[in-house]
Amino acid sequence: MIAPDWFREDRLPHIYCTGCGNGTVINCTLGAVEEMGWKREETVFVSGIGCSSRAPGYILTDSLHTTHGRALAFATGVKMARPDLNVVVFTGDGDLAAIGGNHFIHACRRNVDMTVVCMNNHIYGMTGGQGSPTTPPGAISTTTPYGASEPAFDLAELAVAAGANYVARWTSYHVKELTKAVAAGMQTPGLAFIEVRTQCPTNYGRHNKLRRVSDMIEHLRSHAMLVDKYNRLTAEGKPVPDGTFTVGELVRRNRPAMGVKS
Amino acid sequence: MKLVIDESRCKGCNLCVLVCPYGIFQEGTELNSRGIVTPVLDRPERCTNCRLQALYGRMLCGVCHIICPDQAIAWVEEKPFEPHKVEVEF
Ligand SMILES: Cc1ncc(C[n+]2csc(CCOP(=O)(O)OP(=O)(O)O)c2C)c(N)n1
Ligand code: SF4
Ligand code: SF4
Ligand code: SF4
Ligand SMILES: [Mg+2]
Repeated sequence: MIAPDWFREDRLPHIYCTGCGNGTVINCTLGAVEEMGWKREETVFVSGIGCSSRAPGYILTDSLHTTHGRALAFATGVKMARPDLNVVVFTGDGDLAAIGGNHFIHACRRNVDMTVVCMNNHIYGMTGGQGSPTTPPGAISTTTPYGASEPAFDLAELAVAAGANYVARWTSYHVKELTKAVAAGMQTPGLAFIEVRTQCPTNYGRHNKLRRVSDMIEHLRSHAMLVDKYNRLTAEGKPVPDGTFTVGELVRRNRPAMGVKS
Repeated sequence: MKLVIDESRCKGCNLCVLVCPYGIFQEGTELNSRGIVTPVLDRPERCTNCRLQALYGRMLCGVCHIICPDQAIAWVEEKPFEPHKVEVEF
């Protein structure tokens, strides 16, 4: 059992579909929390709405399961009222970047001291597979039956541009690296944003010839490129394969932050 | 230590099959009482954590344990301790 002091074992098995990556992301986040040695009564988990946002319901601390897209607004409130608390936000790509996009950029700009873990499955999982701002071009969803025709958001780059103090991206396959990144984010004062590319076999894989969980994981693994390698290739003017996304630590810096524990 | 899958939690996603460097988890073929095909274990005593956790006093490898979305993988004490002949292929 991972993090037995934090996990609501009585709630298992959770509602997630077979092979959904959200469970893995909870494991990694709680692994990082254990590493931090935080106390349960000093930690709050906040989420919006979506499959990903169900995560705090499996954790023993106090939590806020808020309205769609507003997790960061509630979390900012918690942190400004009680800077002594550790605040962790679970969110999804739809929750964070569609309806909650404005809260996202401003929370990064304000650099509020919290850790935001986004389970980016490139789809609205909970509501049946509608396209989201991160649905890759060409992907089939219920709202893009002929393939998505819009460019997708790069959430991690967005957080870098908007001012977050720590930004990293991994996938639900890179469990050890992800756990380390979440812990590093928790240690950094200011807003830490960790994007996790994860699999939704039910509402993404099924429509995109990635029906098997292993196909989805292979797709994530083979399209992930370490950020150093990516930078080297682009600096040398070498081509980067289509659909590649960077993984690793994108930024760690010391901009002025709000709500830091004194 | 003995590696076990909790049949009441496993949803049969086979992520553990994908990640174990020793191929200890094999895709199952039979439905259990919950109607789920859980993986079967092939000579689990080869697992790094089974062999060395007690010696090092911490989790070793443990990748299957972290990736399992349903927290269905665990190690239990073996009592009485059964010595195993272990062959590890590299
Ligand atoms: C104000 C409001 N609008 C729309 C919805 C319907 N709704 C529920 S979850 C969801 C999308 C969730 O997508 P995402 O955040 O990516 O979460 P996932 O289920 O993919 O983890 C939507 C549109 C809602 N609950 N509230
Ligand atoms: S619909 Fe997708 S994101 Fe939601 S629980 Fe199922 S697999 Fe996970
Ligand atoms: S990863 Fe966990 S839930 Fe999936 S098959 Fe293995 S033991 Fe079962
Ligand atoms: S801990 Fe490592 S070696 Fe042992 S079963 Fe799990 S993945 Fe295999
Ligand atoms: Mg989503």
